Amino acid sequence: MPMLVLLAGTSQKSAHATSLAAVILIASVGAATYAADGEVSFGLAALIATGSLVGAPLGARMMSGMSESALKIIFGCILLTMGGWLVWS
Amino acid sequence: MELTPLLIAALILLGFIVGLMSAMFGVGGGVLMVPFIVLVLGESQHLAEGTSLLVVVPTAVAGVAAHHKRGYVSFRTATAIAVPGVVGAFLGARWALAIDPAALQTAFGIFTVVVAIRILVDGVKTRRAEKVRTSAG
Repeated sequence: MPMLVLLAGTSQKSAHATSLAAVILIASVGAATYAADGEVSFGLAALIATGSLVGAPLGARMMSGMSESALKIIFGCILLTMGGWLVWS
Repeated sequence: MELTPLLIAALILLGFIVGLMSAMFGVGGGVLMVPFIVLVLGESQHLAEGTSLLVVVPTAVAGVAAHHKRGYVSFRTATAIAVPGVVGAFLGARWALAIDPAALQTAFGIFTVVVAIRILVDGVKTRRAEKVRTSAG
């Protein structure tokens, strides 16, 4: 996405939307490749996707009213814990 | 794995947080979904990655549909990115499937830590900028 803004001179919003469109195809092929080896749980995916479809528009709306730095720091700490846990377990 | 009502609620909540965080920080949901599926549900790293990729598809379709209405999507540019991306996705998935799940889990953990550090550094920078703005205003 930063490459799209720099090279194609598109706006941040347009770059985000366009890269998201490319992600549809890229993720589909990735998922199909894993599914061919039986490494996809369709039931889990359906449940997580249900929550995600509700969460994404709310997230976009909530962005305006919250402290960006606090959210980034909290999210970073959660990821750091999960990453460390994955490495050590 | 048995899907109890509690687990179903936890999975929908996870999806909600993934959607929220993806929209807010522009990160892929995989960094949240994969650790949850591996650490909490006890599934393999391969199944976690395949399932998380599948979740991305409907979420991205919904996002594109919303942006398309406002005229933000350039399908020509998207195709230009997607063609090499699709080849990379196929090769990357085949490569990942050939790697031992435990080794892949460690590699994914290191990747998650790197993403976390990037977000934390960005968060500290944003905090400084917010303080400057507050004191200036």
